[in-house]
Amino acid sequence: MPKKLGLLLVAFLVALIVAGCGGEASGDSDKKNKELVVVDWGGPYTEVHKKVSFEPFEKEHGVKVTVVTPPDIGKLKAMVQSGNVEWDVVSVGNDFAIRGGEEGLLEKLDFNVISTEGLPEELVHDYGVPENMFSTVIAYNTEAFPADQQPKNWADFWDTEKFPGPRGLYKDPMWTLEAALLADGVDPANLYPLDVDRAFAKLDELKDDIKVWWTAGAQPPELLATNEVPLTSAWSGRITVAADQGAPVKVDFNQGFMMSNSWAVPKGAPNKELAMKFIAFTLAPEQQAGLSSQYDNGPANTDAIPLLSEESINRLGLSSEQQEQQIFVNSGWWVENYDKVNERFQQWLLE
Amino acid sequence: MIEVKKEPRILAQQVSFSHRLARISGLQWLLLIIPLGYIMILMVFSMADFFKLSLFNEDGFTLEYFRHIFSTDIYLKVLWVTLKIALLVTFFSLIVAYPLAYMLVRTTSKLWKKIILASVLIPFWISLLVRTFAWSILLRKNGVINMILMEMGIIDQPLELIYNTTGVVIAMTHILLPYMVLSLYSVMEGIDQKLLLAAQSMGARPWKAFTQVFLPLSIPGVLSGSLLVFVMGIGYFITPALLGGSKTTMISMLIESNINTTLNWHLASALALVLFMATLILLFIALLLTGKNPVLKELE
Repeated sequence: MPKKLGLLLVAFLVALIVAGCGGEASGDSDKKNKELVVVDWGGPYTEVHKKVSFEPFEKEHGVKVTVVTPPDIGKLKAMVQSGNVEWDVVSVGNDFAIRGGEEGLLEKLDFNVISTEGLPEELVHDYGVPENMFSTVIAYNTEAFPADQQPKNWADFWDTEKFPGPRGLYKDPMWTLEAALLADGVDPANLYPLDVDRAFAKLDELKDDIKVWWTAGAQPPELLATNEVPLTSAWSGRITVAADQGAPVKVDFNQGFMMSNSWAVPKGAPNKELAMKFIAFTLAPEQQAGLSSQYDNGPANTDAIPLLSEESINRLGLSSEQQEQQIFVNSGWWVENYDKVNERFQQWLLE
Repeated sequence: MIEVKKEPRILAQQVSFSHRLARISGLQWLLLIIPLGYIMILMVFSMADFFKLSLFNEDGFTLEYFRHIFSTDIYLKVLWVTLKIALLVTFFSLIVAYPLAYMLVRTTSKLWKKIILASVLIPFWISLLVRTFAWSILLRKNGVINMILMEMGIIDQPLELIYNTTGVVIAMTHILLPYMVLSLYSVMEGIDQKLLLAAQSMGARPWKAFTQVFLPLSIPGVLSGSLLVFVMGIGYFITPALLGGSKTTMISMLIESNINTTLNWHLASALALVLFMATLILLFIALLLTGKNPVLKELE
């Protein structure tokens, strides 16, 4: 008898612990109404984000903003599917804002709360709004290519006689196929839908000269500064920061590809209404200009541009001249075609 | 009058709690059940759940994803690249680790032992990402290794050490080396050194004593170390992404892209299952080949 009693006791204890864990998680749902979980990319980017957007929002609405990193899309899908969503607002690529919406992973945004004034309409969807912009551009080492011999467009990038040296490109079909087509003389206005066969034919020409297929944004500035490759595609902000620190590197915004970091709200987010207010808050010109004056990503809201210094406007590629030279990545096309094109791209790499 | 000898009664309070707990029979099974339950719930069930995705989608049972994998060149090619890199890494770490582990066992100097262990273990505690970046500094065109070789006049042109298979194998071998050294060391430590002396006293030259006595006895360590390194190697992601080139795409990268970018979890699951099965088959072959080793037979 005492044996069984002992076992019962242990079982009871285990049950108590298990119940205790569960209780803790659900017990403070009252408090949760005052806590907004924002998922961001981390690093200096998030530090600036906190200072210019998240903290002022906390003060204005009397809530606490908890920042979680990084925005793991796989995790988001798992959360939504299991019905246990912990995130309220997530920073995602514009392409996921479309795909996630199609797959039912995101909440429709409330455009009565969120004003889209000043936002580029190419990037506003039911399920996502752009928060800041980055460009994939041509970047080079200024010692290898001094002032009068600098590559100006993707055709120059492909011209290994005029601009000798190995190249770097992003190990992803997105941006790479676009670059190949522009190099082949396609008019930027007629770029989409992409002529995939033509793009791969053009890539064949350059394949042997592409030494590095980079996978992380930190790589291009490093590759250029050490002259591992004198010419590569890059995310513009990474290069302008490196140039400030004295590296002999430069970007050209001509034929750059613009894309956004967008805000999205996971389906079943615990504080949906507050999330909408949060998104609206970060899109106000002051917050937008605040981010772009301290971090080298452009504002999504064009109304923020006049608030920036002349110097910032030029380095971020926001002057009207620079803006005209750049092209919006058509995320809709990519969402439709990425699976197939990426398979072909990976196959092409191995050939 | 017969005096009844009384058992000295021990008051309940005097018995420590752990003693009383130990008396409850059947409780020791908890020691087995708790970890087993932990593994079952966290590993087996979640794995089964994930692998289920490869065979079932919204429309029920389907072989669509496997058909896709086997009818599209890319996946089998990448699987082959993955296995090739993992095998190369296993081979090189064995070559480097064996003498190190042997030194560790044979040396009588405590200082040397400490130096070897420290040089193996300290990198082990440094973040994978940091070590990968460190290798990119060492291996690049005007990096330390190429500079030294050029200064010494051994080469005229910088070697292509990075953004190809060479770079990936060098860095992965370094990163996975500690697992190999420690596996070998733990087995070699248990080999009776007197056996070598005995062999030599019976006329074997040191080399023969090594190949016929020590080496066969160390095979379990070679096997467990190789298994560990190989299995960890096939799942590598960061190192091949940062140090590799166009021909070093590993299967984990394609799985990741399907999980995080295209959200095609069915295909990701099917890929993971193919990798899992390929690994099991390879391990089975390895076991068959080494099964004849008398030392291993004894272990069974």
